[in-house]
Amino acid sequence: MPSAASLAWLIPVLPLMGAILTGLALIGFNRFINRLKKPVAVLLITCVGISAVLSYAVLMEQIVGMPPEEHLFVWASAGDFILPMGYVVDPLGAVMLSLVTTIALLVMIYSHGYMAHDKGYVRFFTYLALFSSSMLGLIISPNLLEIYVFWELVGMCSYLLVGFWYDRDGAAHAAQKAFVVNRVGDFGLLLGILGLFWATGSFDFQGIAVGLQEAVSSGTVPMWAALTLCLLVFMGPMAKSAQFPLHVWLPDAMEGPTPISALIHAATMVAAGVFLVARLEPLYGLFPPVGAVIATVGAVTCFLGASIALTQMDLKKGLAYSTVSQLGYMMLAMGCGAPIAGMFHLVTHAFFKAMLFLGSGSVIHAMEEVVGHQPVLAQDMRLMGGLRKKMPITAITFFIGCIAISGIPPLAGFWSKDEILGQAYFSFPVLWLIGFLTAGMTAFYMFRLYFLTFEGEFRGENEELKNRLLHSAGIVEEEEEHSFQPGKLHESPWSMTMPLVVLAVPSILIGLLGVPWNSRFAFLLNPIEATNMSDKFSWGEFLPLALASVGISLAGISLAIFAYYLHRIDLAKIFAERFPQINAFLSNKWYLDDINERIFVRGSRKLAREVLEVDAKVVDGVVNLTGLLTLGSGEGLKYFETGRAQFYALIVFGGVIALVVLFGVLSPLPT
Amino acid sequence: MTELVASSALEANSLLLSDQLTFEFPWLSFSILFPIIGALLVPFIPDQGEGKQVRWFALGIALITFLVTVGAYLTGYDPLQEGLQLEESLNWLPNLGLKWAVGVDGLSMPLVLLTSFITALAVLAAWPVTFKPKLFYFLILAMDGGQIAVFAVQDMLLFFLAWELELLPVYLLLAIWGGKKRQYAATKFIIYTAGSSLFILLAALAMGFFGEGPPNFEYSHLAEQAFGGGFQLVCYAGLLIAFGVKLPIVPLHTWLPDAHGEATAPVHMLLAGILLKMGGYALLRFNAQLLPVAHAQFAPLLIVLGVVNIIYAALTSFAQRNLKRKIAYSSISHMGFVLIGIGSFSSLGTSGAMLQMVSHGLIGASLFFLVGATYDRTHTLQLEEMGGVGQKMRIMFALWTVCALASLALPGMSGFVSELMVFAGLVTDEAYTLTFRIVIASLAAIGVILTPIYLLSMLREIFFGKENTKLVSSTKLIDAEPREIYIISCLLVPIIGIGLYPRIVTESYNSTIEALVTKDVSAMESINRVSSKSPKGIKLTPALLNPPSLKKLSE
Repeated sequence: MPSAASLAWLIPVLPLMGAILTGLALIGFNRFINRLKKPVAVLLITCVGISAVLSYAVLMEQIVGMPPEEHLFVWASAGDFILPMGYVVDPLGAVMLSLVTTIALLVMIYSHGYMAHDKGYVRFFTYLALFSSSMLGLIISPNLLEIYVFWELVGMCSYLLVGFWYDRDGAAHAAQKAFVVNRVGDFGLLLGILGLFWATGSFDFQGIAVGLQEAVSSGTVPMWAALTLCLLVFMGPMAKSAQFPLHVWLPDAMEGPTPISALIHAATMVAAGVFLVARLEPLYGLFPPVGAVIATVGAVTCFLGASIALTQMDLKKGLAYSTVSQLGYMMLAMGCGAPIAGMFHLVTHAFFKAMLFLGSGSVIHAMEEVVGHQPVLAQDMRLMGGLRKKMPITAITFFIGCIAISGIPPLAGFWSKDEILGQAYFSFPVLWLIGFLTAGMTAFYMFRLYFLTFEGEFRGENEELKNRLLHSAGIVEEEEEHSFQPGKLHESPWSMTMPLVVLAVPSILIGLLGVPWNSRFAFLLNPIEATNMSDKFSWGEFLPLALASVGISLAGISLAIFAYYLHRIDLAKIFAERFPQINAFLSNKWYLDDINERIFVRGSRKLAREVLEVDAKVVDGVVNLTGLLTLGSGEGLKYFETGRAQFYALIVFGGVIALVVLFGVLSPLPT
Repeated sequence: MTELVASSALEANSLLLSDQLTFEFPWLSFSILFPIIGALLVPFIPDQGEGKQVRWFALGIALITFLVTVGAYLTGYDPLQEGLQLEESLNWLPNLGLKWAVGVDGLSMPLVLLTSFITALAVLAAWPVTFKPKLFYFLILAMDGGQIAVFAVQDMLLFFLAWELELLPVYLLLAIWGGKKRQYAATKFIIYTAGSSLFILLAALAMGFFGEGPPNFEYSHLAEQAFGGGFQLVCYAGLLIAFGVKLPIVPLHTWLPDAHGEATAPVHMLLAGILLKMGGYALLRFNAQLLPVAHAQFAPLLIVLGVVNIIYAALTSFAQRNLKRKIAYSSISHMGFVLIGIGSFSSLGTSGAMLQMVSHGLIGASLFFLVGATYDRTHTLQLEEMGGVGQKMRIMFALWTVCALASLALPGMSGFVSELMVFAGLVTDEAYTLTFRIVIASLAAIGVILTPIYLLSMLREIFFGKENTKLVSSTKLIDAEPREIYIISCLLVPIIGIGLYPRIVTESYNSTIEALVTKDVSAMESINRVSSKSPKGIKLTPALLNPPSLKKLSE
């Protein structure tokens, strides 16, 4: 019997086959296939399900200690340039495979409930399968170039899914923004890959690291060039993993359906950047300055995301900025030279953040019954409140998620976040302080979200508030909105609550796999490092840091309780009125969107218009002047009227004949 | 085999292959002459004026031509061989040195296949054409033969004739079936291309008469001539102008948006799919292959022009509000990669340029076809007048999305592979200084950002958002019909096929490209050895454009 690792190529191929099948059917037999909702869902869920089973088999093999496996074939060649493609199975990949297939499977089941009444149900599932396939392909890529291929493909899926509701202007803009911002990152990534290829003649991770080290030590590649290349490559992860300043696309991407936000924009795709940095660890490990830059970017992102999340009123946007912040933590870990800690946080975060997003989807699904399919209303927490009584399962799982992300032991987030902070403390104390403060903000904003949504009184029937919200969003209520019949709040169907409950289990327990004195997770990824870690472990170092971070989390939670549950503190009065600038700075998202809009969007438009002007007036104008001259001389030939072509043909043939004659005269006839 | 001999014996009556002793089936002459004969028969097809019979007839001819070229590829073409294959030669006008010499190598074969393929699809795309159908199909079929001839002939004078003869159908197709400004566009087209092709004639004459003996214009003969450096530079400059108009190279491009903007969809497919490729092909064939010494001097300029093409055209495309002109500018932008590839002294880059031509032929044709199909429904090309079209035309939306993604070089499709090859060829190319490569690669990579900006903005403005009430009330937006889906699928199969496994195409021309690049590299090295004698004009160029040198490698 073949080992699961040798069948690993099937993991991305199966969902791809499913996606191709339904995709072709959508083009060819649109009406017919759109009626077959359940069969399509069953087919695609089965495909992803088999992939999940295979992934777990692969993971088991890696746990029992099978060596990594790599299979390659020649994809393109020209001259002495040979580009292999194929797949590789190693512990890092196996962990990601299992993670992605699990969450993809749960999200697909969830989507069956969430998208049940959507016209694009089949299309949605097709995209989901396509995404799963691309993401899984990315994980098993053996070299940078193949990663780049799938990197772009997941970006495309993200584009398609963010713009899924293409009749919404917001979705259209968000989709484009997501793609273009990611392309800015890919610009660096591509140049970096090419540069590394130039420097080392290799695309694969180990080969690049070894080659670059040799090239730098032998002096063929100067140090600055090596650093530049590493940083260029890092631009890719910066965009994909929403690191400052390329994070601007992620909050906007929340225009997509909520299951997508959970799968792509929280758990898997945005983690691809972190994953790539982990893959490139052999390279980045060689250049400490690069690590410092990565750590700084991570810390800044981490702080920025959390600070903006403090003031968000949109449930999904709040979670989105929280994702940005958590991705910052992961990058911080990577920069501190602790890829295991970063990967561990990636895994734990994937579970609880997917659960939180799916929970928010459940809330939005319920809210839409009351306030209508208007994202401005259905996602605004000012209209929520008291939902715990109506939707207990959602509320409990969301609560678990909040504790997990806040870093309260023994839930998942504590272990992973604490490990990162511990690493940062010893590498970059300043960055540790940022991460530490952010932990407090995280606890505060998460519980703020929870209390505003699930506790207190339901505010969704407040018409005046609704109108004000609509007005401030600049939406004119259309006639058809009035015909909307508000329904009752209710808990979501089983297909939506089941994934929530399933995800709650790892959110609580998975952290125990990575306890610092005996980390099974670290042991899987890097046994030497893991034994090293557990040998060096001392309670004296661990406890103070752990207590400090639990302390600041509890402080954040308490503040949230006083402000939003007990209403003892009015933050608006205490803080917002006293420091209006800071409040405005935060609620305007550090003005980064405005800067982006002013400089890049409008700037590029203006530049393009000017170039076109030059093209039309100057470049073309020169021609038209000569054109005028010929037309002038052509006046006399007007009686040809329709015959410009004949006239031209005549000239050509006349010319050819003249040539023949000329040659006949000039060249001596063969005798 | 006996059947082959029998059929070729029949053909031999008309063609008299004097130079060849064996009677092989004249694949190339047949694929050139068959559509032309077919075209001549069009007027005699009984038809009630709606063009139904003519349509089927033309489709049949185009399909047979396609099958013949495929047959030629499968039976008579060995991809591993670098030299000419399927050669046929016949003295036509001995006094003039004019020979009917056809043959294909790696440079021609992919483009011959592309031509017959795109033309067959263009005929299918022309189904709704009802105005003067006979003349229309006559011209399309004549063009088919003419374009195959451009790629297959092996005699420079013959090349010039084919090049000129193919202009005429394009001119008429533009002038009769075009949009509102068709006369202007057609005139501009003819002035540009005919004016510039004068340089081809001059260069051909100069090169043909070079040296002792009777004039001889055959490529193989010209390739053996030892042209002097100055002579090469002059010829190269002339040819660059001629082919630069066709490709087009900024600033010689302004005929293209007008011509493409006014052309009807099938003509459009041919213009973008094949005509632009003639420029790239000719640059490789003449400039790079026959004039290697001048190529070594000019190559940096080609690369710089390529970058200008990419960025300049991408920006103008972004600002364009007219859909057709937008796509037309995007074509110009994509041809920039061809220029960079040709200018790079690496087989990887040059191979990428070749693949980019094939790839853009397919992608460009599909986009222009979709523009036509969309126009048939919306009756407007202005982006402001569209919006929310995706709600009624969902399949059309899907097809557009796939083709736009192909155009912005999404991995898994052909554009990605070719652009990647050009990039990789450029950065690993030791012929240029490191600074030069860094600057060029970074600038060209800006195109990677600009392309999605204009293509996705375009998609957004056409399909996304609320329905444009004015548009919906005035026209009926019907979704894509099976014929349209079929055409796009036919184009997508090779696009995705090449994207997934590029070797199916690159293998077919690699050996030729390698030989070509080896020749150019050795020419470059030879001028570097005698660099003190390099012509004065080159000295004036800034340091960045200095002739590439291999010495940098050792530093």
